[in-house]
Amino acid sequence: MSAGGVALGTGCLVFFLALGAGLQGVVNEVFPVSTREVEVVVPQLALGNLLGEQKIDDATVAKLRAVRGVAAAYPKMQLRIPAVSRYNGLFFGREVRMGLEVVATGLMPELVGPDARMPFEDHGEGQPVPVVANRRLLELYNKVFAPQRNLPRLTESMLIGFQIPLELGRSFVTARTLANPQETSMQLVGFSERATLAGVSMPLAAIQRINRKYGADADTYSSVLVRAQSADDVTDVAAAVRKLGLEIDDAEQRYAVQIGAAVELVTLALSLLAALITGLAAVNTMQAFYASVRERTREIGILRAVGATRSDVAAVVLAEAAATGLAGGVVGVVLARTVAALLDRLARTGLPDFPFKPPTFFSFRAEHVALGVGVALLAALLGALIPARAAARLDPAKALTE
Amino acid sequence: MSAIELRGITKRYPPREPGLPQLELLRGVDLTVHRGEFVAVEGQSGSGKSTLLHLLGGLDRDFDGAARVLGCDLRAVTDAELAALRHTQIGFVFQSFNLLPALTALENVLLPDFFGDGVPDAERRAREALDRVGLSDKAGARPAALSGGERQRVAIARALLARPPLLLADEPTGNLDASTGEGVIDLFRQLHWARWR
Ligand SMILES: Nc1ncnc2c1ncn2[C@@H]1O[C@H](COP(=O)(O)OP(=O)(O)OP(=O)(O)O)[C@@H](O)[C@H]1O
Ligand SMILES: [Mg+2]
Repeated sequence: MSAGGVALGTGCLVFFLALGAGLQGVVNEVFPVSTREVEVVVPQLALGNLLGEQKIDDATVAKLRAVRGVAAAYPKMQLRIPAVSRYNGLFFGREVRMGLEVVATGLMPELVGPDARMPFEDHGEGQPVPVVANRRLLELYNKVFAPQRNLPRLTESMLIGFQIPLELGRSFVTARTLANPQETSMQLVGFSERATLAGVSMPLAAIQRINRKYGADADTYSSVLVRAQSADDVTDVAAAVRKLGLEIDDAEQRYAVQIGAAVELVTLALSLLAALITGLAAVNTMQAFYASVRERTREIGILRAVGATRSDVAAVVLAEAAATGLAGGVVGVVLARTVAALLDRLARTGLPDFPFKPPTFFSFRAEHVALGVGVALLAALLGALIPARAAARLDPAKALTE
Repeated sequence: MSAIELRGITKRYPPREPGLPQLELLRGVDLTVHRGEFVAVEGQSGSGKSTLLHLLGGLDRDFDGAARVLGCDLRAVTDAELAALRHTQIGFVFQSFNLLPALTALENVLLPDFFGDGVPDAERRAREALDRVGLSDKAGARPAALSGGERQRVAIARALLARPPLLLADEPTGNLDASTGEGVIDLFRQLHWARWR
C-alpha cells in the first residue's frame, strides 16, 4: 500500500521531468539556438547610422574576423531590388497559378555546406540562381499551408532540383518596378537551418552581382554571422562587437530562452506537485510501518532473543523500507513510461498534424530515472525512520508477552 | 563456577491502575544452577515463571538484586554485551509463536546468523540441528505448513545453532498435546545427555 503511494509520487516526478525535457527538445527544434554564434547587425538607432557612417562592409567584416575568440564571420546581404516569381502550371500533379514577391538573402556557400545537394554558387547572369530554403518553412507548408489549400505534401527530395521563374526588377507594386526587368529562374538546391526564415537564400555572390547590376548597394552587408571559438568566448566577442559600434540581434534567441523558461517553470511546478505526492507517500509509509511494527511486536521480541541489538532491529525495519521504496520507485518509473507511451500514441492518432509535432513529447533521461528511484528510496526510508526507532526501543520481554 | 547465580532478586510491576498496590512478583529469589544441570521451575499460572526466565535471559533488566549468568553481571553490562550474551551463550524456546512466519524452517534456524558476528559455519550447523530434531526433510517448509510439535522442534534447532551452554525453555510443551509434548521433553533430555554426560 505504501509502496503504491511511493510509486505514484515518483511516477509523477519522472513523468513531469520527462515531459519537461521532451518539450524543451521541441522548443530547441523550433528555435535552434547555437551557443557559439551571434548575428551581428547595425544598431537601428545609432547616431552614426543616421549620419550614414555606421555600416558593415568588407573592412568591418575583416575587423570582426580579427577579434580575439572569433573563429569565423559570414557576411549576409539582402536582395535590394524587387523581384517576383510567377508560376502557372503543374505543381506535383495539380494546376497552380501563383505569384509571389521574392525576398532573398545572400549567404556564403560555406555556411550552407553539405545542406546543399546541388552546387550552391553563382553561375553568372542568364543561369538559374541556386536557392536554399529553411526546413521550418517546408514544415509550415506541409502542416498548415498544404492542408488548407488542398495542396500535396512535399518532401525535401521531391523539391530539390525544382525550378521556378524569377523576374528581377519587377514588383506587383507597379511603382516599384524598375526600368529594365530581367527574366531568369531559380532552382531549389537544398534545405538548411542556415537559410533565412523570410524568403529564400541565394549565394552571396549572386546577390552582389544582381544588386550591382541594378545600381543598388552591393558593398554593404545586412548582417554578419559571427562564430566564436567556444561558447565561453561569446561574451567577450559580444563586447568587442559593441565596441565596433555594432549590435547583436538575439530576438530569436530571446524567444527560445523565454519559452524555455516557461517550460522550465511549469516543469518545476509539476515536479513540486510530484514532490508533495511523494511527501504524502512518506507519511503513508510511516503509518504503514508503524502498523507493521505494532503487528509484529512478537517477531521483534524473537529477534532480540536470538541476539539482535536495538540497532539490528532498526536496520531490519529500514532494510524493509528500502526494499519497499526501491520497488515503488521502479514501479513508478515503469508507470511513467507506460503513461507517456500511451499519451504519445494518443497524440499520434488523435491530434492534428501541427508544425513541428514531435514523434514523442517525452524525453526520459537516465538522471531523471535515477532521481525518481532515489527520491522513492529516500521517501520510504524517511517514512520508516520513526517506526524503526520505535521498533528498536521495544522492551524485548514485553514484546514477547504481547 | 555456576551457570546461574541469583541473589535476592525482586521483580515488581507498576500497578495496573493508579491507586492499587504495585505487583511484587518475585520476592528475594535466590537460585544457583550449575553447568550441566537440568532444572525445571514449577509454579501456578501467573506466578512469575516467564518473568524469571526473561530475567535470566537478559531480556528484562528492570529488577532488584544481583544476577550473574555465565559469569556475566546482568545489570552491569551494556545492551550490546547483553545481546552478545543472548547470541552466543543462550538459546531460547518459548511457549508458542517462536518462528517468523515469512521464513522457511531452515531460515528460521539460521536467524541468529544474521546478527552479531554471525555463527561460524551456520548453514551446515543449521542443517545438522534440523537433523538433530528430526526435521531434515522440512527445511524448506514455512511455519504455517508445520504442526505445533514440528514448530517447537524448529525453535529448538534454532536455539541449538550457536551451541550455547544455556538453554532456556518457557513451557515449550504448553501448546502441544500430551504425546507430542512428551516427545519434545524427550528431545531436551537427549540433547542434555549428549552434551553433559
Ligand atoms: N508488563 C507487565 N505489567 C504488569 N504486570 C505484568 C506485566 N507482565 C506480566 N505481568 C503480570 O505478572 C504476572 C506473572 O506473569 P508471568 O507471565 O511471569 O507468569 P507465568 O508464571 O509465566 O504464568 P503462565 O503460567 O500463565 O505463563 C501476571 O499476573 C502478569 O499479569
Ligand atoms: Mg509464562
